[in-house]
Amino acid sequence: MSNQSGQVYGLTILSPIIEDDRLDICHSMELRWYLGHLPRDHKSPFAQISSTYLARLVVMDDVVYVGAPACEEHLKSHYLVFETNFDWDLETYLTRLARETPEFVDAVWKHCVGYPGVSDIAAFIAYMKKCQVETTFFFADVNNRTVQKSLEALRTQSALARFIAKHQGQSPAEVQREFGRLLHAIAHAPPPIPGGDESDRMPQENRPHE
Amino acid sequence: MIREARQHTITKMTNINGKAYAMNAITPMKPWKTPILKLAFFVLGAVKPLQKNLKDLSFIHFARWVVIRRNQFPRLSDRQPREELRYDYLLFFSNFNGTWNQYIDAFSAVLSQGLDLIWRWSEKYPGSRPVTGFKRYISLVQFDTDYYYNAYPRAATNDVKAALRVQDAVDQFARASQSLSPAEFEKAWLEFLVRVQSDLGSTGVAPVGT
Repeated sequence: MSNQSGQVYGLTILSPIIEDDRLDICHSMELRWYLGHLPRDHKSPFAQISSTYLARLVVMDDVVYVGAPACEEHLKSHYLVFETNFDWDLETYLTRLARETPEFVDAVWKHCVGYPGVSDIAAFIAYMKKCQVETTFFFADVNNRTVQKSLEALRTQSALARFIAKHQGQSPAEVQREFGRLLHAIAHAPPPIPGGDESDRMPQENRPHE
Repeated sequence: MIREARQHTITKMTNINGKAYAMNAITPMKPWKTPILKLAFFVLGAVKPLQKNLKDLSFIHFARWVVIRRNQFPRLSDRQPREELRYDYLLFFSNFNGTWNQYIDAFSAVLSQGLDLIWRWSEKYPGSRPVTGFKRYISLVQFDTDYYYNAYPRAATNDVKAALRVQDAVDQFARASQSLSPAEFEKAWLEFLVRVQSDLGSTGVAPVGT
């Protein structure tokens, strides 16, 4: 199945956005404004859906004209593109999205044609599947661990590097004892929180959107 | 007035989140070429050694190509205008580390044949070499991301792979070293350090680039 690589699922959704000429601010712009203010760190709705590796939302205004002799053509609707990479199966993911982040889902997809809301989860899943486009080829560099396992591994890596720097030169008995403590601390640490915080971003990311 | 005010409040550079860059591109294809491209993707998916260069580049978390036939854009209501397109479209979504220029340069230098096999069916594709025309084409067909989430913003895909190797090594060493004497532990510890030393680079904020 080309939507899946190992245990990672690559979901691609194109939801047509409502067109209404009577509005002062069109749905596409409302949606962009909302997305521009949505937290991108541990406060992101996707951090709540902890099986998400990377996800994006894009308002696709039109197709691209590449120049003559190609024909120029245009879409009649704008589309919301939802591209996400997550662990395991589609239905569980969509159910979590609807159950755990209903306000976010409503705020985004209320701008889209045919969105049924999230109160009826089966209807929501059916809607998303109608908007799904099959991935033709999906590449996942790491596809045999979960997001949580990857985050834990990154924490272990960091803790081990600090441990080695701190304890070099000590006697083997001391290192052995302290290493046991390190393992205990790692084993009993709370689950890492996905998404990081603002200190993980570089200043360049806050420049005006181009 | 409201429209302008809202435009000015969208300030995030959302193609980037931490060390990951979200690229979106769309290119038109004559419909008779679509089956050929699908066959190429089928072969690429089935013959894993063909993905070796992509894997070896090791700076792409996830990437996908999605072919949409001209009559496959989701239509969810009779009131939604039906798309009337002459071309099929190839969508490309990538989550990579590094800057846009580094990515395109590396693609052109290392994956030239693979890229040409995929995009040669798209209108006006100039080939991936020389890189100047290729970059111009990608700039033309790329569209920006409105919202981008990353579960581990401080980590590149190489960091994740290194961390997973460290985690495996730590788990093994923890089991193997439980009942060692300090002298035995010293020897095993040194062997363990040799095994993990090249995977202990620290993660952090991405460097500023273009």
